[in-house]
Parts: sequence; C-alpha cells; structure tokens
Amino acid sequence: MTETPLTHAARATPPSVARKIKGLSDRAIAWIFVGPTIFLLLAINIFPLIWTINLSFTNFRANRPGREVDYVGLRNYERILNDSDIWLNMQATAHFLFWTILLQVLIGFTLAYLINKKFKGNDLWTTIIVLPMMLSPAVVGNFWKFLYQPQIGLFNYIVAFFTGKDPSSFEMLGSVQLAPWSIVIVDTWMWTPFVMLICLAGLRSIPDYIYEAAEIDRASKLRQFFTITIPMVLPFLMLAVLFRGIENFKMFDLVVQLTGGGPGSTTELTSINLKREAFEKWRTGYASAYAIILFVTVFGLASIYVKALNKVKER
Amino acid sequence: MSSFSATAPSARSKWFAGTLVILYALITMIPLAWIMLTGFKSPADAISYPPKVFFEPTLEGYVNLFTTRTRQTDDFLAANPPQTWYEEIVRQYDMVIAGPSKFGERFLNSVIIGFGSTFLSIFLGTLAAYAFSRFKIPLADDLLFFILSTRMMPPIAVAIPIFLMYRQLGLSDTHLGMILLYTAVNISLAVWLLKGFIDEIPREYEEAALIDGYTRFQAFYKVVLPQAATGIASTAIFCLIFAWNEYAFAVLLTSGTAQTAPPFIPTIIGVGGLDWPAVAAGATIFLLPVMIFTVALRKHLLRGITFGAVRK
Amino acid sequence: MSQFIQGLLRLKRGPWEMVATLLIALGVFMLMQPFVMWGFTYSFITTLIGTVMFIIVSHFRE
Repeated sequence: MTETPLTHAARATPPSVARKIKGLSDRAIAWIFVGPTIFLLLAINIFPLIWTINLSFTNFRANRPGREVDYVGLRNYERILNDSDIWLNMQATAHFLFWTILLQVLIGFTLAYLINKKFKGNDLWTTIIVLPMMLSPAVVGNFWKFLYQPQIGLFNYIVAFFTGKDPSSFEMLGSVQLAPWSIVIVDTWMWTPFVMLICLAGLRSIPDYIYEAAEIDRASKLRQFFTITIPMVLPFLMLAVLFRGIENFKMFDLVVQLTGGGPGSTTELTSINLKREAFEKWRTGYASAYAIILFVTVFGLASIYVKALNKVKER
Repeated sequence: MSSFSATAPSARSKWFAGTLVILYALITMIPLAWIMLTGFKSPADAISYPPKVFFEPTLEGYVNLFTTRTRQTDDFLAANPPQTWYEEIVRQYDMVIAGPSKFGERFLNSVIIGFGSTFLSIFLGTLAAYAFSRFKIPLADDLLFFILSTRMMPPIAVAIPIFLMYRQLGLSDTHLGMILLYTAVNISLAVWLLKGFIDEIPREYEEAALIDGYTRFQAFYKVVLPQAATGIASTAIFCLIFAWNEYAFAVLLTSGTAQTAPPFIPTIIGVGGLDWPAVAAGATIFLLPVMIFTVALRKHLLRGITFGAVRK
Repeated sequence: MSQFIQGLLRLKRGPWEMVATLLIALGVFMLMQPFVMWGFTYSFITTLIGTVMFIIVSHFRE
C-alpha cells in the first residue's frame, strides 16, 4: 500500500501504548466500528449493483414478474450503443455539461477573485451568494418553471424590459431552441457559488510572499496573474470541474421538474431518458445495461476526481 | 496583514470588487425573493401581467397549502357563518374547508426521514471514521474510495435494483426503507468528513487516557467525541440537508405513506392548473430551514461539499 | 518523455495512472461527441478499460 494523505494519519498506535490498553484489541474494535458501515453499503449499494449487472444480460421486465426471463448476452449493450436516439440524448447532456461548466467556471472564478480583494462585508455577501446551492433542486426547478412562464413569468418580463421584445413572443421552456438554454441558466444560477467557493479556497491558499517576491522582481500585475494566480488555482479548478461534471452528467431532479425532458426530447438528459426506459416503458433488462454504462462512466470520472482530491489535499 | 504591503488591494479596487459582488448577490436573490413574495399573493395577483411587486398581502396561499376545500351551496354558506380567519379567506370563493391537506403529512415525513437517516449515518459514520483515522485497516484506501464512489453513483441507476429489492422485502413506500436508503447515501459523506475532523484531534490526548487505564471505548467517547463535537454537528447538518433535498429516490420509491415534500410540492393543484401561491408557500416553508442552516454552516460549507478535501 | 516510458516499463504508478486517466477522458468524450456514431458505439468499452486499468495501476509502487 502506498503512502497517501488518506492513510498517513492512520499509523498504528505505538507498541508502548498498545501494550497498556485494556479491553478489546484494537483490531477487533476496528472491525466492530467499520463493519456496520461496510455491511450497509454492501446491502444497499453493492448487492443492487451486482443485481443490475446480472439483469443487464436479460430481457427482464419488472412490470411482468411472472414472465420467463431469458439471458440475451450482450444484446442490450449492443442495442443501446447503436441507438442514435440515445446518442442524441448524450449530445443533449454534452451541451448541458459544456455550457454549465464553462459559465460556472468563468463567473465563479471572477466572483472568487473579486471576493478575495477582502472588501468590507465580503463574508456576509459570500454567504448570501451561496444560498441557491443548498436548496432542493426539485423545488428550485419547480419555481423556475413559474419564472419562465411566457405570459406571467418574471424572467420573460425582465428580458422583455431590457430588450424591448414582447414578453409573450418567446417561450423559454416551450421552444426547441431555447429550452436547452433554460436549463443551463438555472443550473448556472444554482451552482456557480460552488465553483466560486472552491476557487476562493484556491486563491486563499496562495501565500502572500510569492506575490511580494514577484513585486520585487517588478513583474507586472497581469504577469503575476498568469504565472502565479492561475497555476496555483488550477488544481482547485480541476476539482470543481470534475465534481460539477459528475453531478451534471447524472442530473435528474432539477431538469425533470423544469422541462420534464421536453419539448420533444431536446432536454432529455441521460438520467431522464434512463428513468423513462426503466420506470415508464419497464424495459428493466435494457435499462439495467443503460444504467451500467452510466455507472462505469461516473465511476471512471470519480477515480480521476479522487486523484485530483488527493493532489489538493497535499497542498 | 501589515500596514504596508505590496500585495494589499487598493481602496479603489476594493470598492469596485465590492460593488460587483453585491450586484451579483442581489441578482441571484431575485428568484428566491420572488417565490417568497408569491406565497403571499392572491392567485389573481400571482399571474397578473405585468408582474406585481406591490400588492395586498394575503395568507390565501398558506391556507390553500394546508387545507382541502369544497364548494358549497349558498344556503349552506348562509347558514354557517365563518368562525375563523382562515375560514373567512376561503369563503370569498364560496368554499368551505373540508379538512387538512396532505402537505402537513409530507412535511412530517421529510422531518422523520431526514432526522432518522441523519442520526443513523452520523452514528455509523463516526464509528467508521474513528476506526479509519486511528487503526491500521487493511486496504483502507480502497475501502475509503469504495465508500466515496457509492456516493457518486447515479441515483436512477441504483434505483432499478433497489426498487425490485424493496418490492420483495416490502420496504417500498415505508419510512424505514427511505431511512436506510438515505443513510447508505449519506454515510460516505459522513465517513469522509468525520475522518478529517478526527484526524485533526491529536492522538496524544487519547494515548494519555489509554495509559491512565481507560479502555478504547472509554477513550473514544470521553476524549474523542467531545473534541469532535463541532465537526459531528456540521456533518449532521450536511446529511440532513441532503436527505431533506433528495428527490430522485423519493419520487421513484414512494407514493403515499412515506412520500417526502419535494415530490409533493410541485403537484399542488388549484382551480385550473397549479395553485402557484400555494406552491410558493410550500416552497418557502420547505426552503427556509435550509437557508437558516446554511448561514449557521458557512464556516464548514467548503469542507462539506468537497468531502473534506478543502479545509477552510 | 523517455522518463515517462521508463516509468511505464518499470510499472510505476504515476505514468500508468496518467494513461488510464487519458483513456477514461477519451471514453467520456467519445460517449458524448456529436461527430461520429462509431465513437459513441465504442465509448463504453474504452471507458471500461480505462476504469479497470485505473483500479489496477493505483496499486503499483509510487
């Protein structure tokens, strides 16, 4: 086992102390303490996962329990990976991912940079900015639906006020062109504070003396920004991007409440599509294969995330 | 900071930064403020054009949220004059209150499931975190990664087998089922965060206690637990907020008895479509506790949302 | 570059993790790109290989 920041604190108790401990041995206590957690995760996460893998090779349908179940080999995977509709859903997800991450990084970093100027009352305003992120995505999606109403919604009114357009001339949720952007706007509103907080932590981790040294070397402010600030914040930014990437790849609650995947399937992100296959069309076997594809993707990204996390922790 | 520093921002740039940040904060607050205002509007004011900022406040939305109402004949209404202020609000539409709505129940479900799963995940999580922090556990890194990765799983992907499993065990739409499920999701966060907090407590404290003749258990709850109290409290709030906000599992696995508020609020129907003031009132009541907790948590926010990676 | 290849040959963790990370990133890109259908078709196997590889090589020596 290599020494990483995860384990370095877990060195064994020194033998001089260990000999004097009364009661159960450390090893027994360790298993008593970790056991229940591992058991729960095995029962509610790993066992279902194995079951899903098994189901993904069958044509099982959960709404017809009596029907005979056949093993179909890799056919489910073959069908999904050659389905151009699912490919389109993936592209809708990609549009959502790309724009939300880009906007959140730009706005989030700018905000963090400004807050790091330590103006008076910055703590209070930071807390206010952070609020949207902590709310229930389903409820947020639901009330943004109200703001997006073409006739009566506040969003349309404000846009109309500034552009002079008729507020009933465009439907954020109803039009094929605008709907993908409506979900980008809400997600950006909700999650920019997350990127901002992580960037802020990155900025605050840069020691002052580096800038002071650069100042002595007469490096310009712009140069300092590109040679000190950006490289030092980059690991933190990577962390934020990966985390938002994973979260938005599985995005469900917010978008389901906002658009329900529509109009047509323009905002049908993969999780919504999967929910339709599994719980509306009841193609359980097929949906299981789909779930495994999403799961492996997320798991792969998560391993990179943990690597990035350890890198930040070393700082 | 020293009185003279080459790196300190000038007064002008501070003022500029402050203005921009405050402007952004005010803009992001508009949707939240709007939903809270809508809760105090009458249905007609809520859907008027142009949107009304100034209006006569009414508690209609809140009354509609908590009650079910039926239309009555004029004779009945004349024979039974309204007794209470909320009865009076309903009377302007020739209706009477027929009974409480399901919102109270759903809200209570959110509370029960939220607190139940938080308690369980903190209990199990503290034990596991202590073990990971203090003992040499074989394959500790792999176990920790495994624990974290369970949190990353797409809920819909996990929901398929859980749905089948719960149907077999009779756990679907029960409080116990939801508590166990949310505990399983939250425990990863709890272990990771608490391990960080416990790592920061110097082990010398316990070792001194052990030499004094304490058993491991005594050292754990008499020395470590009090030291970790702040960390445990903030972890608990994070778990609570997650369980409170969760929607995907709730909408797929519950339909009645154990349904929580998030899947319920968007379905509050009034006359001719969604009853927006009632929906807004429900959202306000539901979101307010989270906002208060967020303010309380602000020092630990980063730690919580990055699984303890970023300390400050 | 030659150091990187040497690292691979000696089964060092760093360079192998890099290879696995790149494979996963490639797989995710192939899954969601709008350009060619075969990219989508073979994305899953690419990500799967990358992920399994990542799990294995994270146990190599530093």
